[in-house]
Amino acid sequence: MNSILRATTFALAPVLALSFAPAAYADGNVACKPGPQENWKPIDKLKKKVWMEGWTLIKLQVEGDCYEVYARNSAGQVLEAFYHPETLEKLVVFRRGTEIYRKKGF
Amino acid sequence: MKRKQLKTLVSVGLAVPGAFMLYDFAAGTTLAMDLLEPTGVLSVRLMILAMLAGPLVEAFGTNRFFAAWLMLRRNLGVAAFGYVLLHLLFYAVDMTPPGILDELGLPGIWTGWLALALLIPSAAISFDSAVRALGRRWKTVQRLVYLALAVAFTHWLLLAWDWLPAALHIAPLAIAWLLRFRQRQAIVRHRSLS
Repeated sequence: MNSILRATTFALAPVLALSFAPAAYADGNVACKPGPQENWKPIDKLKKKVWMEGWTLIKLQVEGDCYEVYARNSAGQVLEAFYHPETLEKLVVFRRGTEIYRKKGF
Repeated sequence: MKRKQLKTLVSVGLAVPGAFMLYDFAAGTTLAMDLLEPTGVLSVRLMILAMLAGPLVEAFGTNRFFAAWLMLRRNLGVAAFGYVLLHLLFYAVDMTPPGILDELGLPGIWTGWLALALLIPSAAISFDSAVRALGRRWKTVQRLVYLALAVAFTHWLLLAWDWLPAALHIAPLAIAWLLRFRQRQAIVRHRSLS
């Protein structure tokens, strides 16, 4: 009986632990490697960049050590773009997990 | 508590997170896009919980706890399918039909549709008279769930590119399958000895 309980706990622990864990967002494990946070530019500065791309902004957020933008392009496609928090350079863009842009050398 | 009451109570309990999600969406406090991940992950978790009971019982024998878990397998499975449908609903609201058609060919997307298609037969026969009518074939159809789970994991990995959460989810099932395999081997060995 004890071994059954132990095994059940063993088997269920990861499921239960994850039930309380916040859901991970698609981050593609992108690492932007910026310097200290005090040197980061305000995230709102990305709004103009998004507008200049011709995209409609859905959401701005900090993801790991990157700025992340959710937007729609003119064709209505949902894009997930990662920007460097210091330089605000566009580093990589995913469309539903498929990489459609990557900065040269990144 | 009577069997039927317990099952109803569990089903209602399992529907609660979905009700909160729908409420948040209707109230405009959450984007449909932000509900995609929670609904998807929840359906995978429920599917895993439904699939764990069988191998654990086979590996360790039955007791009251396992018996109750086995009894609730259908509730867990049907709830998992319910969250798949909610996942689809939020996706449809977020994308609109032309957007959905446009990205149908992307690997991260068509794998999701395939997982849904594979789950439909199992969900469609999740009632007693279907079990009786199909007999042994019922179990064969339910085995599609294994394939559906594998495709769902592929869908998840292709969208998130983060293997760790998916690996942590599959771990309990992998352990349970391994224990069941060892148990079956032991039975075969025992039989061949006697």
